Amino acid sequence: MSPSLAAAEVLVQRLAGPVPATMVSSFGDLHVDVPEDRWLEALRIAHDELALTFLDWLSAYDDTPRGFAVVVHLVSQESGARLLIRTSVPADDATVPTATDIWPGAAWHERETAEMFGISFAGHPTPGSLLLHPDFEGQPLRKDFVLASRAVKDWPGAKDPAEVPGRTRRRPALPPGVPLDWGSS
Amino acid sequence: MTDAPAGHPHPPPPGSRGVIALLADNCTVCMLCARECPDWCLYIDSHQETVLPIDGGRARQTHVLDRFAIDFALCMYCGICIEVCPFDALFWSPTYDYATGRLADLLHEQDRLGGWLDSVPAGTIPISSGVEPKE
Repeated sequence: MSPSLAAAEVLVQRLAGPVPATMVSSFGDLHVDVPEDRWLEALRIAHDELALTFLDWLSAYDDTPRGFAVVVHLVSQESGARLLIRTSVPADDATVPTATDIWPGAAWHERETAEMFGISFAGHPTPGSLLLHPDFEGQPLRKDFVLASRAVKDWPGAKDPAEVPGRTRRRPALPPGVPLDWGSS
Repeated sequence: MTDAPAGHPHPPPPGSRGVIALLADNCTVCMLCARECPDWCLYIDSHQETVLPIDGGRARQTHVLDRFAIDFALCMYCGICIEVCPFDALFWSPTYDYATGRLADLLHEQDRLGGWLDSVPAGTIPISSGVEPKE
């Protein structure tokens, strides 16, 4: 058994309860999904008992319509085990406790996650923006955030070289990946 | 030809993505590059012309390129435009010393893009078979 799988199995075992933690392998990485209210407990077990002492990164992704997923990547410098611990938070109350008590280095990761997704980290010692201007409005990595450069500018690919003036096209070409309601015109 | 641009002692390694060169004669204004570009940095303008085949046959409509420009201020050098071009009109050149203090100067128009062809590595640009295409 690989050190990562061993660590994941122990973590799932330790978090047994009414809402159990689950384990899933995705693209060769092991994810342990933990309930939101046991996030900090899971991180403590990982740090104290599983020797996953190195915090590689902490971030999140917009999991609409299931809210947001907060993910942390932990590595053990002893066994080489790597684990992604993940929890799901609702979009209307996106709050998780801070992990800075376990890893002080999580502070910047959490500040970035907070400003990019609007997730608050309860108990964070130095909250505030990290990369964005303090007056920046909106959460740029949320799926509902309109990307100004895609909304303001016309898509250069919209031109139809075969267009006959005066005749409308049946099906205009649309920019891939840009929601229809973002358009400027 | 993978020689370093003038004044640079170290030649860029093979396959370097310095700048994109345009062989305008090969462009058929299919718009694939402009539509695939994730950065929206390719601008193409064209008009239609009617051509009569030399050896008779009915008149055909062809697209004539009026403008082909790449904004290297936006380009992220992914090379998708080069990959997607079905007519071998776009090529990587290792030339990299075109930095400028003005953002607008990074918008390379057709003639400038054509000029980069001289520095495209030998063997990259296909040689014409000499046979006239049927269509």
